[in-house]
Amino acid sequence: MTKVGQFPLRAAVKQLAVSRISRRLPRTRAALLTTLDRISPKSPELEILNMTDALKDAPFQAVQVDALVAVKINKHCSSAFPTTATGAIVGMDQNGVLEITNSFGFPSTDGASSDSHQNDASAAAAAAPRQKSNQTYQNEMIRHLKEVNVDANNVGWYTSVTLGNFVNMNFIENQVHYQTANNATVALVYDASKSSQGNLALRAFRLTTSFMTAFKEGKFTTDILQKSKLSYKDIFAELPVTIHNSHLLTSFLHQIPGLPSEEDIEPPVSSADLERDQVQAPLHPSIDMLDLAIDPFLEKTCDLLIESIESHYTDLNNFQFYQRQLGREQTKISQWQAKRKAENAQRAVAKQAPLPEDEWQRLFKLPQEPSRLEGMLNAKQVEQYSKQVDGFTAGISARMFAVRENLAPQ
Amino acid sequence: MAAVTERFMHLSRPLGPQQAGLQSSIAPLGVSIQPQAILSILDHATRRDVRDASQPSRVIGALVGTRSEDGTEVEVRSCFGIPHTEEEDQVEVDVEYQKNMLALTLKANPREALLGWYTTSLELNSFSALIQNFFGSPDTGTFPHPAIHLTVSTDPSTAIETRCYISAPVAVNSERAAESCLFMQVPHKMLYGDAERSALGAISAAKDNENRNAPLVSDIEALGASIEQTIGLLDRVSEWVNGVLDEDEEPNAALAQFLMSTLSLAPKVDPEQIEHDFNNHIQDVLMVGYLANTIRTQIDLAQRLATANIQIGEKEGDNKNEGDKDGQRGGGKRGGRGGRGGGRGGGQQREPREPREPAE
Repeated sequence: MTKVGQFPLRAAVKQLAVSRISRRLPRTRAALLTTLDRISPKSPELEILNMTDALKDAPFQAVQVDALVAVKINKHCSSAFPTTATGAIVGMDQNGVLEITNSFGFPSTDGASSDSHQNDASAAAAAAPRQKSNQTYQNEMIRHLKEVNVDANNVGWYTSVTLGNFVNMNFIENQVHYQTANNATVALVYDASKSSQGNLALRAFRLTTSFMTAFKEGKFTTDILQKSKLSYKDIFAELPVTIHNSHLLTSFLHQIPGLPSEEDIEPPVSSADLERDQVQAPLHPSIDMLDLAIDPFLEKTCDLLIESIESHYTDLNNFQFYQRQLGREQTKISQWQAKRKAENAQRAVAKQAPLPEDEWQRLFKLPQEPSRLEGMLNAKQVEQYSKQVDGFTAGISARMFAVRENLAPQ
Repeated sequence: MAAVTERFMHLSRPLGPQQAGLQSSIAPLGVSIQPQAILSILDHATRRDVRDASQPSRVIGALVGTRSEDGTEVEVRSCFGIPHTEEEDQVEVDVEYQKNMLALTLKANPREALLGWYTTSLELNSFSALIQNFFGSPDTGTFPHPAIHLTVSTDPSTAIETRCYISAPVAVNSERAAESCLFMQVPHKMLYGDAERSALGAISAAKDNENRNAPLVSDIEALGASIEQTIGLLDRVSEWVNGVLDEDEEPNAALAQFLMSTLSLAPKVDPEQIEHDFNNHIQDVLMVGYLANTIRTQIDLAQRLATANIQIGEKEGDNKNEGDKDGQRGGGKRGGRGGRGGGRGGGQQREPREPREPAE
């Protein structure tokens, strides 16, 4: 064989390779297209926030977060993960939009001991926003920030959560604390684990006025809930969040890698060139979103959901216990009343003054009805989880169709 | 991931003031800056006092972060602004403010330390030297480590440029030592980790918008955007490959090789197997979704029943007890019982099934 004979062979191989590439690529493209078709109909997660009546009484209807705040919260929370991180946010509200322009974290109460007592540290951090020492810290910090022209107006707080498990007493108490002091406050919730998928999960919540009044009275008994028609759906309202960049920042963002340039590029000389000058992945739209392994998130959400069911069950047991207790007391009372009646009847026969019939109120003590707040919060939490599951299933099924289209023969 | 890298060689760094017993290191120094520090600086730059024309056009602030053990790598994690005034012949920095603010910042992040300072113009002048000596001095600054000086150009008409310096003392005589020093540029890069990608992605989403605003989108919308972008890129590659086949484009061996090796990563699987796996998985996923919604409905029902005003209960209560108070209580009690029944029934149905589902 001579060199001349080899040459067409190599050309043929090349041709074959190129045609294989050209066959393969449209297929991947088609796969992605079908996926796109699948997800374009409105998925349950897209359900636009019901900001109807719940938000009417709020001093603002939307939250605008400065890029600096988004990055700061993201950094603080993800570096503290899995411990909860909390901090304060400052800004101002104008024209129905709450602008959040700066933030700072609260001092963590842990120290070296944080590793062994992770839960303690989390609990401490979760309670941090309403601690006395942190109040002073916050005021001091705001006073200092004022001197460098930062909006010196506290507008709430932020917290980090794992897969949406934020509906609990700590959250409510913190927000009550802030909202009592200043009505124009909001709680930013940053989901550290959901954000690791590539999409920033930052949400804003505030308590509704009806819940605030109910909470101040401190009574969540069945009677009161019946009268006020307060249901778990009215505990807090979510506000839409937008990100805002300054002009300077926009100019800076155009300097960090974006999409590959549209113009013709100098072709590489060797594959080493490609290795060396790897294309930087664009920040938006993030390619992390295309990761197929999101099943663990779904699994974890299911675990959390089961946990919620358990606590729902405990709550029911408590209530059942109360009702048995109440039933027992009431039987005792009616027995006593019957006895007293009979006695009075006898006394009436004997022409004696009747004994008072309402003495039972002193003799028997009805058990205190347990607060229904825990149950309400739990219901809210379950709602939150199942919405999250909806979101995940939509994402997973879309990705799965992409995989099947790409791998299975047509 | 390094976003901005300076390409120059940095051989050694200048010696700091020698003191007895302290040996300063002459190893090269690398500075990495986290995005939130840069963003803070840019934010501070937009918040400078513009009302007073006598005020300097630049602002200054302190850099806070961590230092590696040998002091050759520093990471700027955050920063805070310091009020200062510049006049023709003197500069005034609010030292008290700097001290308090540093204490406050360090309280929240006990592992960090003062690293140096920043300013928002590229210019280095004798005031810079004065402030640099203040930040590098033993009692108020970073001594024995060198103070880092970061300059960020914030001129609206030009690209944002960052430079990083450390300094060495130089002076013609000892009186002038305080207001002069030799700035040496050191390499620096902007670093962001995987955790910050999501936030940076969200803020870059707004970069092409006229009003510089971007709503936060749900996961599924973001997935859609990513897929659309990928399709666009694939189209571009396909176009090129077709161009090569039609002999319109110049073939390139390196690119073809790269494409081949990338495409060969696609696993070869049995079509039946994939169909089987796919069906199994999609059923599991849909089942989980269905169950989650069932649970939501059940809990909703339980809540409603728990607070529902059930009429029969009320009547019975009225008949049984004379007192108004008792009647109401009876009503409440019945209502509560109804709620419990509903909730429990659901719970029992679900409980044995639910834990199995995600494991499959």
